[in-house]
Amino acid sequence: MSTTQDFSGYGGTWCPGCGDWAIGMAIKQAFVQLELTPSSLMVFFDIGCSGNMNDYLNAYAMHGLHGRSIPTALGAKLANHTLRAVVVGGDGGIYGEGGNHFLHACRGNHDITVIVHDNGVYGLTTGQVAPTADKGYRSKSTPAGIIEFPANPLALALSQGASFVAQSFAGDLPHVVETIKKGVSHKGFSLINILQPCVTFNKVNTYQYYLPKVYKLDESYDPTDLREAFHKTNESLEEKFPLGVLYQVSRPAFHEEVSHLPADISLGMRPAFTQLEALIKQFV
Amino acid sequence: MNSFLWKIGGEAGFGIMTTGLAISKLATRSGHQIYDYAEYPSLIRGGHNTYDVLISTDKVSATKHEIDLLICLNKATFELHKHRLSATSTVVYDPDEFVIEGEYHLVPIPFKKIRTEHNAQVVMMNTVAIGASVALMDGDINLYFTQIEEEFTRKGSEVVEYNKTFARLGYDEVKKNFSQYIQPVLKKQSEVTERMVMTGNEAFSLAAVAADCRFYSAYPMTPTSAVLGILAGWAEKTGMVVRHAEDEVAVINTALGASFGGVRSAVGTSGGGFALMVEGISYAGIAELPLVIFLGQRPGPATGMPTWTEQGDLLFAVHAGHGEFQKIVLAPGDIEEMFELTVKAFDLADMYQLPVIILGDKLLCESHQSLETEKVTTFTASYQPNYGKTVRTPSEQPYLRYNITDDGISERLIPGFEGVYYQANSYEHLEDSHTTEEAAPRIAQVQKRSRKWQTYLKNDFAKPTIYGDFAKAEKVLVSWGANKGILLEAQKKAKEQGIEFAYLHFTHLYPLDTELVASYFTENKQYILVENNSEAQFGKLLRAEVGIDLKEKWLKYDGRPWYVEELVEKLKIRFPPTRE
Repeated sequence: MSTTQDFSGYGGTWCPGCGDWAIGMAIKQAFVQLELTPSSLMVFFDIGCSGNMNDYLNAYAMHGLHGRSIPTALGAKLANHTLRAVVVGGDGGIYGEGGNHFLHACRGNHDITVIVHDNGVYGLTTGQVAPTADKGYRSKSTPAGIIEFPANPLALALSQGASFVAQSFAGDLPHVVETIKKGVSHKGFSLINILQPCVTFNKVNTYQYYLPKVYKLDESYDPTDLREAFHKTNESLEEKFPLGVLYQVSRPAFHEEVSHLPADISLGMRPAFTQLEALIKQFV
Repeated sequence: MNSFLWKIGGEAGFGIMTTGLAISKLATRSGHQIYDYAEYPSLIRGGHNTYDVLISTDKVSATKHEIDLLICLNKATFELHKHRLSATSTVVYDPDEFVIEGEYHLVPIPFKKIRTEHNAQVVMMNTVAIGASVALMDGDINLYFTQIEEEFTRKGSEVVEYNKTFARLGYDEVKKNFSQYIQPVLKKQSEVTERMVMTGNEAFSLAAVAADCRFYSAYPMTPTSAVLGILAGWAEKTGMVVRHAEDEVAVINTALGASFGGVRSAVGTSGGGFALMVEGISYAGIAELPLVIFLGQRPGPATGMPTWTEQGDLLFAVHAGHGEFQKIVLAPGDIEEMFELTVKAFDLADMYQLPVIILGDKLLCESHQSLETEKVTTFTASYQPNYGKTVRTPSEQPYLRYNITDDGISERLIPGFEGVYYQANSYEHLEDSHTTEEAAPRIAQVQKRSRKWQTYLKNDFAKPTIYGDFAKAEKVLVSWGANKGILLEAQKKAKEQGIEFAYLHFTHLYPLDTELVASYFTENKQYILVENNSEAQFGKLLRAEVGIDLKEKWLKYDGRPWYVEELVEKLKIRFPPTRE
């Protein structure tokens, strides 16, 4: 049985009060409760404050390029699908720089869990606007207010075929833990968008801002109802933020649909192909 | 026998490519050797396509200028090629479509009439043309019938017979009315060595499988698109996972993920796609992830001339990636080298934990060449992948992914071993892979990575290959990549005309062993650099890396490969016969 200590590397480097502390703790707790060990999973860190969890969370990991954590994750998953794969990134990396990868990973239902720290700003570069910021949000890069409409990652994921779409709030640690456990346990692509106040650079979307506006989906909510899920994703327009699993459906994951990939043995562990003669024939 | 050039031309979409390949296979199965080359515009219908097949009893490695047998499926083919015909060239054409004036061996075949009489599709004209070609080259029509059976049996015996009918029509027409123009080109050789007919793309694909590559991702781009289709087509058999990703950024990062996950991985692209991959190459550099990148060059910049050939991306490949890190660039010169160097690239990537770029071009990627089957089977029978210091169990603990070593290479653990973990970190890192910004470990890691190159140069760098008598030669032509075939043919042709030169052929382009390479450049010889680009990029590399400045450069950058005759002409002008 592992402990959160097993997963703890070097200390975090986040600002006091940053939502990333709660998410970092929640990830470790979820892994422990799922009886995982640092050697039993692969974590793919994006670039940003969120990705700087790389030295704080022990695992087989790639700390790659900004926006590219999803493609590295799904490549590693295809090579070594007996290990779980988790992506840790921010709204800038996952929805901005890596937006194209995000939507195609949803389409492919790759068996990875994408945990997004959604704070509406670029923290590590000291406060430029991120794709999820509300229209009119003033930042270093948008002093007159951002012209674009905010990205709606939950609706985007649903429309592109993600089989698990959830939202949580960094101000509610137990809820984050439970949601990550559900997402990591889900077979297929799971998105967990976590509303995460940036205490230093975002003076609008604070804990105080979110507290009265978040609410938990209750037991009457049916997460298999796609139409209802789409409805929920649009509540952000009214500054209402549903927390919990908005949508979950069981569908074969990408690697399960690669017919020649055995279920129980990873790509790297199967015997080498040596029947070259069979291929040579076609050229003779 | 001298080499014989068969050429067909027609409108794009007429089936020119299939027809050319059929002739290449037929010649090879008759015991001859071939080199073929197709020209086509970047569109699906309406442009003009051509296909050269050079046939010889000896090894051939480039096409030639003079056409011996020209099949014109339309008037444009004749108009575009009449300057390459001589009085003894045979021209097959449709007399109902256009009239030919001039002294040639004319073989009028009423393609259109045959089509109309049989109510046949346009592509059947090709089958008639192949039948006529087999007759004109004195080949065995039954060999072609076998090819028809191989291709169409799955569609039923009626389809097989239907195709044979059209082939026979062309064949009989020549035998009956034009027997005076028949030449013994395809006469079956007494001993037929089994040979494959392969493109560079196909050789890369076969080599990737032979080298135990298990993951390939790509985004289609001429001239390497075919690799994606070939490997995907084989995947059920080979077990390779092949992914057509959403863009080239995803392509390289997915492949790096697969490499981290523990399998040999490769990507394929051309210049534009490669440009998008560059940041990923830099990541492979610092995280020390093995990866093979197949870069098939075509004329740029930007979209350039997509279906034509050039060697314009050498320096881009060499310098690709921000920051200072190690990579290896290899450039095969023909199909055989493509096979061998691709296998070597996978070994080098693992042994040195870095990106290895295989640099090809349209000419090499898409041209067919004959290659003895035995050469490949013998090679693969004795081949054992060299995974270098890749392990599934760490040799000692605590495990240090980026352990400082004398040879620069640290043990690379495939994820999954219980009790251990590490990061493939894009930030500078400590030996244990954690991020650092401290000066001392930064210097130590930079120097460690740099030592990998020294180890490579010592153990695995290959010196240039010499063709001809280098010791005696006063003239030395220097080149790389697919120019090899052209230079070797030019060497033969020039010798016939009294001009001898040695050819210095480079395949291991970067990094270069300064002392070793410099030793090939001496005071008493005249060196001429030959490249298929406008900037003499290999010349610049030689100057920067070795300090050798080749003043005389022959450069071609019109999207076409060098022609053998073109080089021989230049040699004749440059080295006129000395007067007594």
